[in-house]
Amino acid sequence: MAALTESQVDTRVGKVQVRLGGEHAGRPVVYLHSATGEGAFLPFLEQLADRVDVVAPAFPGFGESEGIEQIDDMEDATFHLLDLWDQLALDAPAVVGLSLGAWMAVELATRYPERVGALVLVSPVGLHIPDAPVGDIFGRSPGEMAEDLFHDQSHPMAQLMHSFDDYRSDPARMGELTFEMVKPVLQSMSATARLAWDPYLHDPKLRKRLHRVTAPTLVVRGAHDTLLPRAHAEVYASEIPGARLVELPDAAHLAPVERPEALVELVAAFLEGDGS
Amino acid sequence: MRFFSFHLMPYPALPDSYDGPAWVTVPNELFDPAVGHEVYNRYLDELVYAEELGFDGVCINEHHQNAYGIMPSPNLMASILARQTERVKIAVVGNALPLYDPPTRVAEEFAMIDNISNGRLIAGFVVGGGPEYYSFSINPAHAREKFAEAHDIILKAWTEPGPQEYVGKHYRLRFLNTWPRPVQQPHPEIWVPGAGSLETVEFVAKHRYAYMGIPYFHISVFDRMFKMFRDACQQEGYEAAPEQAGWLCPIFVAETDEEARRQYEEHFWYFVRRLLPGITINPPGYTSLRSYEGMMKGMGTFALSLKTWEEAMDGVYAVVGSPDTVYEKLEENLARLGTGNLLGLFQLGTLPADQVMPRLRQRFPDGEPMLDPALSKGAA
Repeated sequence: MAALTESQVDTRVGKVQVRLGGEHAGRPVVYLHSATGEGAFLPFLEQLADRVDVVAPAFPGFGESEGIEQIDDMEDATFHLLDLWDQLALDAPAVVGLSLGAWMAVELATRYPERVGALVLVSPVGLHIPDAPVGDIFGRSPGEMAEDLFHDQSHPMAQLMHSFDDYRSDPARMGELTFEMVKPVLQSMSATARLAWDPYLHDPKLRKRLHRVTAPTLVVRGAHDTLLPRAHAEVYASEIPGARLVELPDAAHLAPVERPEALVELVAAFLEGDGS
Repeated sequence: MRFFSFHLMPYPALPDSYDGPAWVTVPNELFDPAVGHEVYNRYLDELVYAEELGFDGVCINEHHQNAYGIMPSPNLMASILARQTERVKIAVVGNALPLYDPPTRVAEEFAMIDNISNGRLIAGFVVGGGPEYYSFSINPAHAREKFAEAHDIILKAWTEPGPQEYVGKHYRLRFLNTWPRPVQQPHPEIWVPGAGSLETVEFVAKHRYAYMGIPYFHISVFDRMFKMFRDACQQEGYEAAPEQAGWLCPIFVAETDEEARRQYEEHFWYFVRRLLPGITINPPGYTSLRSYEGMMKGMGTFALSLKTWEEAMDGVYAVVGSPDTVYEKLEENLARLGTGNLLGLFQLGTLPADQVMPRLRQRFPDGEPMLDPALSKGAA
């Protein structure tokens, strides 16, 4: 697996962490992470970097990236991505986004279609679909969340999330939780709240703009995703021109975490074909 | 020392079969309007009675869609109290400013209460509890910014001639020109309740308002909270006055310690085990990381973790006992905390009517009635 290198990029909102990997010809791939802020450690990215060049920024408010206090909503987020693209001399990269990151990618692709060369939307939020509500991410315990996010509850990240509930279920043990233990989650969820508290995980104007996407688009969903109903992936796939939908078995909401090999194959094949 | 009678106006009739949170998602089918009619009127009577007993003031507060306190609009209650009392201060502690849009509404309603009561309002401003941000779908990441802007708008409305323009990030008012203006000039006394977040403490210190410590923690958490506040005042270049701090505490007096416990304990546990669950939900972005780190130290001592009556008494989660015991404990802890306002909760949980007003009439050993002159002497 190709190791990724850390670097920092100056943007208008502050320094942003970016991980880079691969030395390949062809379109680079930008990976936009989800509300969990995965990406600091994600074998998926290293495996993907064996096939294509990978650029994985941490959004402001996640990891060490600065400037979330200057970003109030998804519109600000979109403009931040444009700035980042310019700083990194990315013209029209392929974008692979997970959940919140996929939503961000679509916001960019509807407004500035010429800056997105290919689009892979994994478990994309961003839409409100009547009778297909998205599960709650802001009021539930980590253990409850893990049930929705993972097909395999024995995955190390799922196990970690369940372990937090052991503290929460016993108020007396709350005192054993240290700030360092909860800081990454607090930080990631605070940043996510800025973008997605209200309207909850969607942009009411996004759906009517999906027709503007010009990039070849692949929509991926985990077959066991209980957070995000299948209807969301279906709407994206049917209303983005030419998009298609693939369902990954043995995965729930976080396919890049749970099924990295299968997803790398899907993405690489897509980029070599439609998305090249 | 000023003495206030504080009422949360709890819902006392959650069915035994319900064991979920008392906040945000507690099904509103559980609310029985017949109970509502009875307790709203009874609770108002209990507050009005405080004036007769010699209290300096009464306190009410604001919470939404919950069983802990069925007072989504404390301003409605305050306007009733403004008519039914003649002397006491009416402290609304407070209005959750980010929940009023535009916040001009707070300037208007508070000024109305101040007019009707002829200058007896204490104006409380609060950021709003964590659950409120779920209940009203207001972005918690904007809570502090909205609170600060709303505060500026209200103060401008009260103290600067209108019409004027206000342009902020969250609120824009082309013609800010509030009618009526408050009786108290330049503005009513301002209180801010808080649970120890650094932002709130610094805000109160900066504006020289009064900080009211929110209860249900071990007394040591109050030590830390009020020390933080005094330190913040020093940072602003002055010493905090005792009147700038208030301690909110459940209080119950009976003939003996044993009798007090016997009559009070089940109602205390209803409050802790039925009404507190859900209150601690902390929406992301509501508390800054630096505040959260400090507040974590107290979290393990929140009343929800109480297992025994002895723990509750040792940690001063409530002051309960004979007149001697209550007198000594209040005196000791008021001195310890250095607060110049005592906000007593004399009704808690399911505590029934026949245990509230008669207990307030309880006489201390020197023959003085509950609280007013007796305690003033002791704690001054």
